[in-house]
This record gives sequence, structure tokens and C-alpha cells, in this order.
Amino acid sequence: MRKRRQRGGDQAEVNMTPMLDIVFILLIFFIVTATFLQEEGFDMTPPPPNDEPQNTEPNPVILVQIDAENRVFVNQRSTSEDRVLAAVQRIRAEAPQSAVLIEPNDEALHGTVSTIWDDMRVNGIPVSIQRATAEDS
Amino acid sequence: MARRGSRVQVEEEDVELNMTPMLDVVFILLIFFIVTAVFVKEPGVEVVRPDIALLDDEKPTILVAVTDTDEIWINRDPYEITQVRRVLEQLLAENPRAEAMIQGDEGAPIGTVLDVQEMLMELEVPVTISGRNN
Repeated sequence: MRKRRQRGGDQAEVNMTPMLDIVFILLIFFIVTATFLQEEGFDMTPPPPNDEPQNTEPNPVILVQIDAENRVFVNQRSTSEDRVLAAVQRIRAEAPQSAVLIEPNDEALHGTVSTIWDDMRVNGIPVSIQRATAEDS
Repeated sequence: MARRGSRVQVEEEDVELNMTPMLDVVFILLIFFIVTAVFVKEPGVEVVRPDIALLDDEKPTILVAVTDTDEIWINRDPYEITQVRRVLEQLLAENPRAEAMIQGDEGAPIGTVLDVQEMLMELEVPVTISGRNN
């Protein structure tokens, strides 16, 4: 019994080493190319349009406009990029329910818009974005 | 002499390892890495990301870069805004459950970033904007 098995095993045994080499190379390739890409980002999409009729008065809107020369206006009053938050908070002190609407010109800088967006979100101020229409600018 | 030879043979038989369990493990690892391999196509340009405090970890598979010279880069090629939709549709055909991220430069015009964002939202792709945290 033992003798027969041993002989049969010898005959049928396949040399696994080359296949093992290939499998290891494939394994190493996939480990190396598996880029567990770590990107950090934020969501700047405007909220979906609300079709439901609003039964309450719509909240007053603080309009933050950024023009083509990257100047910032809060409710038509000129401010600098850093003072937007202070200006918005001053208005919100009187009307705490008001939300911010950023209205950038197409030529305004992405850095400015996202910094303002981030400032609002850090301070828990509801914020949305809508591109300026031609007649506004 | 003859005795010694026979002893060596016995030792060889004893030392031989059973490779099968290791092979099983290696195959399972291989299949795992093949299945999870997401080939992210880098835009091919470095942008200066805006400084953002509130950031989430994202795992995007489509990366679109907008440079300060108003060029749109996808997969190491610059494109015009009119061509972007076709390129994005191709990428989506490869990976229908893709998530997109726009790498906008600080000096990029917001109009271009919003154009790309609107396009991705029309294609019903979740889209985020890349930022860096200092």
C-alpha cells in the first residue's frame, strides 16, 4: 500500500516552483499598484432644488458676491476676503435665520470661493452657491 | 559510503515541505488584490489646493484637475471644456460606480470648476472638491 502510493506520487508530482514564482510576482505587482489613494475633499454642490411649497417665510439671504477682479461684496457692500465672516456674523446677529448665498463671477478665483465656503461651514452658517447670471455682473 | 548515501535520501524525504496551504493563501491574497485594485488615473498636473478646515476622507476614482491657467486635465491629458463630457462618459463606462474629485487650483477660475461640477452632477456622479489642511 505504502509502496504503491509513494511510487504513484513520484510519477504524478508537478513541480510547483515556477508557478509559485509567477503567482508571487503577480501578488507583488498588485500589492504595489494598489494605491490606497488618500484624498481629502469637501462637498461644494448646491443643495437640490426644493419643489415643496414653503409654508413659512423664506429665510433672508445674505448675498456674498465675488466679481471678476476677485473683489468680495457682502450684501453689495465691499469687503475683503478675510472680513467676509465678520460681516456675515454681524448681519446674522440681527437675523439669525439668514443663510449665505455665494454668487461668484465665472472669473473669480476658486481659492477665494472655497475659503469663504469653508469659513461659513466651520461656523455652522448654512451656505449655498449659485453662479452669477450675466445681468448681475 | 553506501550507508551514508541512504541516510541523505531519508533526510531529503523528511525535509520536503507541503506547499499546498501556502499556495492557497497566496492565491486568496492575489485574488483580493486583483479585485480591490482600482486603477486611479492621475490628472498629471500638480495644483495648489485651497486651504480648507473641514475636510472628509474621500476615495475618488475619477480625478479632474483645473489649473490656474484654466486648463482641464484628466488622465495626463489637457482637454477643452467641450471635450470633457465625452472623456468623463468614457471613464464612467469603465467604472459606473465612480466617485469624482475636482482638484482645483487656488487661482483657477471658479466658472470652470463649477462647469465641471455641474457636468458630473448631470452624469449623477458624486463629486467633491479637493482641499488641503494646514
